[in-house]
Amino acid sequence: MPRAIRGVLIECDPSIKSIIMNINESEANAYVIEDLDDSHLVVQESKVQDLKRRLDDHLKETIPEIDRDSDSDRDVKQDKKGW
Amino acid sequence: MSVNANSSQLSEYLERLPGTTFRRLYQQPSTAFAIFRRMLPHLAKTIVMAMLYMPTPFLLSDLEIWVKPTAKRQKDQALSILRALHIIAVTVPCRETPQSMTLTANFKSSLRFALEGGGDHNSFGVPSQLPIAADVDIAFLDKYARKKWDDILHFVVNSVGLIDSRSDGSNGPKASVKDLLMAGRLVERKGASSTMNITQAGFTFLLQEANSQVWTLLLLWLEAADHANKEGHHTGMESVDMLSFLFLLASLELGRAYSTDALTEPRRNMIPYLVDFGLIYIPHHDRRQYFPTRLATTLTSSESSLRSVSAGFTAASEGMGGAQDSNAIILETNFRMYGYTSSPLQIAVLALFCDLKMRFQELVSGKLTRQSVRRAVDMGITADQIISYLATHAHEQMHRVAASAKKSLLPTVIVDQIRLWQLDTERMATTNGFLFKEFDDYKEYISVVTFADEIGVLQWRNDRKGMFFITYAGLSQVKDFVKNKNKEKKAGK
Repeated sequence: MPRAIRGVLIECDPSIKSIIMNINESEANAYVIEDLDDSHLVVQESKVQDLKRRLDDHLKETIPEIDRDSDSDRDVKQDKKGW
Repeated sequence: MSVNANSSQLSEYLERLPGTTFRRLYQQPSTAFAIFRRMLPHLAKTIVMAMLYMPTPFLLSDLEIWVKPTAKRQKDQALSILRALHIIAVTVPCRETPQSMTLTANFKSSLRFALEGGGDHNSFGVPSQLPIAADVDIAFLDKYARKKWDDILHFVVNSVGLIDSRSDGSNGPKASVKDLLMAGRLVERKGASSTMNITQAGFTFLLQEANSQVWTLLLLWLEAADHANKEGHHTGMESVDMLSFLFLLASLELGRAYSTDALTEPRRNMIPYLVDFGLIYIPHHDRRQYFPTRLATTLTSSESSLRSVSAGFTAASEGMGGAQDSNAIILETNFRMYGYTSSPLQIAVLALFCDLKMRFQELVSGKLTRQSVRRAVDMGITADQIISYLATHAHEQMHRVAASAKKSLLPTVIVDQIRLWQLDTERMATTNGFLFKEFDDYKEYISVVTFADEIGVLQWRNDRKGMFFITYAGLSQVKDFVKNKNKEKKAGK
């Protein structure tokens, strides 16, 4: 007889998945029910929102601000003070 | 109450009304005429016109001969619209008499009145006999209506809180209009703070044609009045009468004065609201006359002439500072955006999703950045909404270049990137459901997973591990399938 387990299927990039697995390990496997493959896993339904929040926090820390790149408008502003 | 994104809100609203309401609506020739003009497809109009002076019921079998077989779909559509709007009544099918249809009595007599004239129904407004002030001309009315409507749009945009309130001394719309916008969830108060926030419905509202915007707001108003009446508040207004008054306004002539004395009491109660919306202008020195503005007279224009509302505005506001040019945005492949506009309203809309850097007389420039798009997405604006805004307001030059190079209007790289930025905020896709595992043997697994796939509930499978995931809705069906399988197995043993 097969078993049916209630949960939430998460589909994401492998990089995101490894972050989720890290969070899961640090919380004594409270989130993940089943690790399916590189880009899929099943987590507890009640923990999804919590997981999303933690993932966002994590990403904010690790991903650098990439918008402040070559931006000539800004350069002009810096050159001419009191613009 | 909520706001629909499409422009067919009026027909949706009308189709929800009961038949008795229609009977009352159709007592007014102006209403019957407006519905005929605005709501019916051509074939439906032709059928109505054919039946208008027909003394006997029209047999459906005759209509069958009348319409080409290739147009059967259009015919069925036309009939269903006519029935939904209670314009025709079709007899119940029975064996003895063939099915036939007739125009409903009120609609028939009202439409005849509307076409032939006559009667003392005053349904098309009573022109004022009083002298008209010389400065109230069409240009003035356009300017007035535009200002009123811009104030309302401004309030919606400003609710984002990105920019300071406008500097030209306008107080924004009246409190009653603000309440309507809030009731319709175009803007909402978030949390304990008293700041207003635009909702996704609000952004959709901003992107609509002026005519659809007006209808959106008017329908909110009708619903609010209905609601208030139901709760026992005496508003002195009733949605059926309000609706026929709106249709009356739509039949009036722009630039002419009409008499408020000829209006009934409830309709006079409506006037202050309509003034707030900018549909009506009342001169200060003489409150016995009112002028419908372009917003009112174009209410029931046919779909194709909707654009002429904004075209009329553009014409009216030429040479006037603070006008909204509808086609003014240039978008470059390096994410730079130039908006040839000095309209505070359009600048505010751009500021929703664009990082504005410089502002000159009649030009703002800025850049689409990951942050600015993300901020917009966080407010509930979708990437597709941003893209469609940029496309509908693209500068002529953009159209010309795109046409000559045979490329898409907006640079593909930008469109893709906006979508990617939105995806960025959704790093994982989640599906609620059930994981099936620990099957007794591979054969059983395959049969169940194939079944789940066939009924379209399968989300993920791994044949090697013998596991699969189905959606929440699919559980009962898959469970029954597994049970039946087991029964069969036991019976077989």
